[in-house]
Amino acid sequence: MKKRYLNDPNFVRSKKSKKKIIYSVIYYLTGTALSLLFILPLLYMLAASTKSEAAVATSNGTFLMFIPDFTNLSVFFDNYAVVFGERYHIWTYAINSLIYCLVVIVLNTLVNGLAGYVLAKFHFPAKGFFSFIIIFLMVVPVETSIIPLLSIVQDLLHLNKGFFSIIAIVIPSIISVFNIFLYTQFFSSIPKEYEEAMHIDGAGRVRMFFNLILPLSKPIVATTAVFTFIGVWNDYVWPSLVVDNRGTSGWPLYPIQYAVNIITSSDGITTGQIMAALVITTLPIFILYVAAQKYIVKGFGTAGLKM
Amino acid sequence: MALIALYVFAAFIVIFLAVFIKDFIKNRKSHYKYHKGEVIMAFVLLAPSVVLAFFLVLLPIITSLGFSFTNYTLGDPNNISLAGGDGFGNFRDLISEFQIKGDFYHAIKNTAIFVVFVVPIQIGLALGLALFVNNKRRGTTIFKVCFFAPVAVSLSVTAFFWREVLANRPDGIMNSILANFGIPNQDFLGTDKILGWMIAISAWQGCGYQMLIFLSALGNIRKDLYEAARVDGANSFQRFKTVTIPGLRPTMLFILITVFIGACRVLIQPMLLDQGVYPGSVTLSLYMYNQGQKYGNVGLSCAVALLMTIVIGSITFLQRQLLKEKKK
Amino acid sequence: MNKKVLLVPLAAMTLSLVGCGEPDVDYTDNTRLTMRVHVDEGSEEGNGYKEIITAFNRENNGKIRVDLEFVARSGGIYETQLDNDKRKNTLPDLFTFDAPKCAYYAKNGYLYDLSSSFSTTEQDNFVALNRYQSKLFGIPIQESSAGFYYNKDMFNRAGIDVSGITVDNPWTFSQFKEACAKLKALPGLKGAVDMRLDATADETATYLLYPFIYSCGGSFVDSTGLHALNYFNSANSKKGFQFLKDLLDNGYTGTNYGAQDFFTHQVGMYLSSGWTIPELDNHVKWGQYFPDRNSWGLLPYPKADDGTAVSCNGSWSYAIGNNPRTDKSNVVTLLKYITNAKSSKVITQHTGMIPANKEAQVGYANPGSAEDVLLQQLNKTSVQRPETVGYAQFSSAFGRAIKYLKDYGVDKSVDDAAQYLEKELSRLK
Repeated sequence: MKKRYLNDPNFVRSKKSKKKIIYSVIYYLTGTALSLLFILPLLYMLAASTKSEAAVATSNGTFLMFIPDFTNLSVFFDNYAVVFGERYHIWTYAINSLIYCLVVIVLNTLVNGLAGYVLAKFHFPAKGFFSFIIIFLMVVPVETSIIPLLSIVQDLLHLNKGFFSIIAIVIPSIISVFNIFLYTQFFSSIPKEYEEAMHIDGAGRVRMFFNLILPLSKPIVATTAVFTFIGVWNDYVWPSLVVDNRGTSGWPLYPIQYAVNIITSSDGITTGQIMAALVITTLPIFILYVAAQKYIVKGFGTAGLKM
Repeated sequence: MALIALYVFAAFIVIFLAVFIKDFIKNRKSHYKYHKGEVIMAFVLLAPSVVLAFFLVLLPIITSLGFSFTNYTLGDPNNISLAGGDGFGNFRDLISEFQIKGDFYHAIKNTAIFVVFVVPIQIGLALGLALFVNNKRRGTTIFKVCFFAPVAVSLSVTAFFWREVLANRPDGIMNSILANFGIPNQDFLGTDKILGWMIAISAWQGCGYQMLIFLSALGNIRKDLYEAARVDGANSFQRFKTVTIPGLRPTMLFILITVFIGACRVLIQPMLLDQGVYPGSVTLSLYMYNQGQKYGNVGLSCAVALLMTIVIGSITFLQRQLLKEKKK
Repeated sequence: MNKKVLLVPLAAMTLSLVGCGEPDVDYTDNTRLTMRVHVDEGSEEGNGYKEIITAFNRENNGKIRVDLEFVARSGGIYETQLDNDKRKNTLPDLFTFDAPKCAYYAKNGYLYDLSSSFSTTEQDNFVALNRYQSKLFGIPIQESSAGFYYNKDMFNRAGIDVSGITVDNPWTFSQFKEACAKLKALPGLKGAVDMRLDATADETATYLLYPFIYSCGGSFVDSTGLHALNYFNSANSKKGFQFLKDLLDNGYTGTNYGAQDFFTHQVGMYLSSGWTIPELDNHVKWGQYFPDRNSWGLLPYPKADDGTAVSCNGSWSYAIGNNPRTDKSNVVTLLKYITNAKSSKVITQHTGMIPANKEAQVGYANPGSAEDVLLQQLNKTSVQRPETVGYAQFSSAFGRAIKYLKDYGVDKSVDDAAQYLEKELSRLK
């Protein structure tokens, strides 16, 4: 695009183009400044993760805190070595969390997707009842419900030991009222004609969901998957409470946030090591977001979200 | 627990059946009849989510709201009785604390101020950013990713970072910048200013998310509408007013409600920024957390949750009624 | 095909709903005991517990076997686990707890009364046992104390002579202020001393600062632990807070200091617990600011000019859980084993903290060393934190008084905190 402008003989003379260039410069300068404002914590985290404690302490509060310590390259990856090393072996917990995330994402999509499909496309009595419950559950503060939830999962469902404690870790994340809401919104926007065309072929409703609705709904699936991932990946209190760690030797079942908490509260840990651990926990979210970014924008709407 | 589950389940079924029968009778007069197969299939497909939602979301919430009428404590959970004899002891306690201007009073005040400011600021910021990147220039994807970054970065990093930036020290970042302009050392996170920074940081932290939603809505506005407006001689502000704003209207309601609910529940920012529970920065959620988790007064904490549910619920309902699109 | 797809989630759910509840622990089998500690498995302290329990299991082979469980305390997980076990009546046979929470746990029936299990001679082996209403509920794992770390070079330059200050002959608040004035006069310093007034969010400020109030003859709660008005804000208590306020007003200390300030030579003194000794010894973390032990020293707490010398104590303790096991004899055997001189030494080897058992304290510190100052202080001047069921509430109130000291002054901040505490204590069942 730019090249074409440059080759255009009228380019320099044209007042309009000149104005356009000035606009562009202003646009990109503002954009860069704004972006910096939003990624400063990220820069700080990355920079501090390469520094020794003394270097962090002296650079804190100055602009050097955003710049990695290139003067001392011999210690550049030392903090990462500690975090990945024998004492903390963060990768074990990262693998646990990845598995939990994958399981939850698959089941979450299935369970909530089906519910959204039914609420969007089916005609049945008491539909309003379910819609009301969804809105109600989105409004109530959930902070206090962890105590009864613990009691339900452990006393009523007996998900206490070994393999069952893993189910206890993932099961509350499988259901997400907000995701049902998003799915319902998205599916409502899919034109009826598609379905009718298939219905004539005699396809069942379930097959329709898997063969027609889901393939058409990549954006919303990507969107809920990313946010489900962020939720499960960042969850700390619940999994740490229900995990069965009695006599576990070898592979602990804890999620990655547990490792981060262990690292942060260890005696003699340095800021750099903490930041290295945080970089490792932030990176997957970031990569996933960048990869799915294109879909997410579409996922939130097509028809717009109506409440 | 099993007993509570049974009661809640019974209530759930009764209400469900009532609505079911009501809809069914109503339907007999309608043209759009239910099909037996479709209804059965609907309930079969709904079953997994309904069962899970009942046990893991609805039941815990109903139970915890029920706790608000008891003196349930963390330390002695098997010894429950009605709070204050008649079940309303926790609410009387909260009212008395409100009257002596204790933490509950400050929590309500701070939350109200927080919500009133953060909702328009965050939505405005999100809309601004969305309009900023909503064009075909190169590199806007990078901007989009950057604006979203605070959503992805752990809150504790963000809070630690802002505490360093706003540190009450001559060599703190903000203070060293201001020093160049001859402004003396400021205590940014001091008692009188912390709420302002909480609002700013929350808006900064969350707006990337709403920006995405706005972007998707902007993408859905038909391009020919802009063209038509241009042909009619509308300038860019008029086009924004006559095309963009109406196009964003349905999304706006969704964003308004979600940001509002999120703002009412603000918990983490004051906790990390002020590192404790203090009158200057306590919010309702923080008060609730403190009473429930730290002091073990679960009953009292749940009473706050119940009050919050009622207030947030009714305001949400009002917003919905006032701003809902007229049915065509 | 479509039905199969449906069956998968349904089957998974039925499976999870049914579950299979095998009995958790057999409380009639006295040969299998459970023990839970508040650290993570890979930590130094965790290795200490592992070593002790391995030795115990070996020595009692065939008679008693202890399963050790690690639940790291960060983020309140450890406490929530305990609460959850209390609710289900499945508390471990033996567990650790934060000493000042003794009254809360004892009142709510978490803890087994140890009064008759430990004889007076056995009890005399410990500096500070955990009691509630004069019954014994907890035995300390290790002890801790705190003092003022100081930069020897700065003290020399400022001309401050601290050679005469010992635990038996401590300095006074006035002497302390004099030293601060001299330090502050040195060029390039931020202030004289880091009093940790910023650390009000957790227990740090409470733990380090309550001795100043006691030293002035102040108090926090009445003997029942349920009333704070006119105790927390009594005239004597306010004298203690006034001392801290004076340090602030004179610019000797600030509310905006960070841990790095002492280590990077920004202040001359640093109020901290014994945990700081290994940090100073371990140059790796801070570079070469303090190259060896001659570059820093440790001073005891100052005492009020007309008051008594008081220092802090208390760390985590062991307790026997009040669970369905009726025959506690083997659990008591285990508790006695893990608190004896040998086990006490093992823990100290791993953490560097002061052994709780007095027999194990022999040979812990070289005379004149920093460890020796802490040990002497612990045995001679330490006083426990207030005994109240609402300890968490007390700690918040104390943090609040400290936090608002600078802005609102002593009277308002301490009165407000006392009122807050009184209200919160009135909520206890």
